[in-house]
Amino acid sequence: MSAPQPSYKFSDIIAEPRIRERWEKVRRYFFLRESTYDMSNRCNIRCEGCYYFTGEKQFAAEEGDTKAWQALMEGEKERGITFAVLAGAEPSLVPHLCEICYKVIPHGAIATNGLKVIPREIDYRIHISVWGNDETSRNIRKAGDMLARQMANYKDDPRAVFVYTFTPENIDEAREVTEILADNGQQITFNMFSAPVGYSGHLRHSPESLHKTREMMSLLLAEYPETVLFSRYNIVAHTGQRALHDLFSCSYPRKNPSTDIGLGRSFRQYRTDLQWDREAACCVPDTDCDDCRHYAAGSAVVTARMYRHATDPLTFSAWLDYVDTYLAVWVRGYQKGQNLCDTFVSPPPTNA
Amino acid sequence: MSNDINQTIARISEIIINELKLEDVTPETFNPDLDLVDEVGVDSMDLATVALVLRDEYGIRIDEDDYPKLTTVRIIAQYILDKLNSQE
Repeated sequence: MSAPQPSYKFSDIIAEPRIRERWEKVRRYFFLRESTYDMSNRCNIRCEGCYYFTGEKQFAAEEGDTKAWQALMEGEKERGITFAVLAGAEPSLVPHLCEICYKVIPHGAIATNGLKVIPREIDYRIHISVWGNDETSRNIRKAGDMLARQMANYKDDPRAVFVYTFTPENIDEAREVTEILADNGQQITFNMFSAPVGYSGHLRHSPESLHKTREMMSLLLAEYPETVLFSRYNIVAHTGQRALHDLFSCSYPRKNPSTDIGLGRSFRQYRTDLQWDREAACCVPDTDCDDCRHYAAGSAVVTARMYRHATDPLTFSAWLDYVDTYLAVWVRGYQKGQNLCDTFVSPPPTNA
Repeated sequence: MSNDINQTIARISEIIINELKLEDVTPETFNPDLDLVDEVGVDSMDLATVALVLRDEYGIRIDEDDYPKLTTVRIIAQYILDKLNSQE
C-alpha cells in the first residue's frame, strides 16, 4: 500500500498526458444522475441472501399499468434523472415496462438473473448475476445449468456483463467461471456479497474471506485483462476490512441527510408500487450498511469522492481507474481503457 | 473588502463558466446570487471539479461536507475569503 503524497496542485496532477486524457474521457459522463426502480415483485428463482426478499419492499404491490410507468418516468426525466437502474425482483418478467423506461430515459442498466432474454430493443447495459459455478448455483439459487443458459441467452450481445458475486464459499470457482466467459468472448465484473440486515448466515464475509477474495480478484484481473472489467482500486475499495460507508461516507439518502446536492438530493429507489421512502433509499435497500461492499453502491459512493482522491497523481489515477471501470460496467457503448494504476493504493482519509 | 469580494466573485464566475462550459454568459454578466444547483444546474461532481480549481487558485481546502452550503458564487467567494483570513 502506498501513502498519499500531499501538496500537489490539481493542475499538476492532470498535466500528465495519460491522466489528463482519462480525466477528460470520464468527466463527459458527469451528467449521469441515477435512480433505481423495482420492476416486479416476482422472480423465477429464489436465491439465499437475496436483498430483494428482505424487508418491506418485497410486499409492495406490483404496478402493472403502463400509463402509470410512463408518467413516472417522464416525471423522473423532468426532475433531472438521466440514468435508470431497473432491478428487483426480476425485470425480465416485465419487458414491456422496461421498454417504457428505456424510451423515456435512454441511459440505464438492468439487473437480471439472465434466465429470460431481455429484448434487444431495450439498449441498456444488462447485468447478469453469477454466484458461482453451476453446482453452487444449484445449491444457492436452486437453478440448474445457470451459466450455460445465461451465456446462451446473451451470446454476442454487447449489452451483457456478467456480475460475479463473491461469497466466502465460491472464491475459487471464480477462476473457472471467468475462464468459461473468456472462452465465450463475454465480460465479467465483480461484486461482493453484502449481508442483508439481520443476516448471519454462512455467506457473510469474514476477514479471511475478504483477503482471499482480494487475491483471487488480483489474479483474475492480471490473467484476463480483456475479460475482467475491474481495477486494482476496485479491489481495494471492495475487499477492505472496512466497508464502503466507513471508507467513503455513503452518499445515498439512506445514510446522507443532505437534500442540497448530489445523490442526497436526486436519488430515489422506487418500489414496485411506484412509491419511495427516503429512509430506505439506496441502491441495495435492506443491506446492512456496515457490511456493504456492493458493486452498485461503490459505483456511486467511490465515484462521488473525487475531491479527496485529488491528492497526488497515483491516488487520482486509482480513482480514474475506478470511474473508468464504473462507466464501462454501467454505460452502453463506453469502452474501458487500460488501467493507469497497477499498484494497490490506500483510500485517502475523509479529510484529505 | 468589497473590492476583494467583487474580484473573488469575478474569478469564481470565470472558473465556473470555463469548467462547466456555460454558454451565453460572461464573468461580468454572471449573477453571483443565482442558486448554482437549482438555477445553473450544477451537480456534486461539477462542484467538486470547481472546488479543485479553487484549491489550486487560492491554496485552500474546501471540505466535502461544506459543499451543500456553497449554493451561490457570492457564498463561495465569502467562504474563500473567510478561509484565507483564518490562515493569516
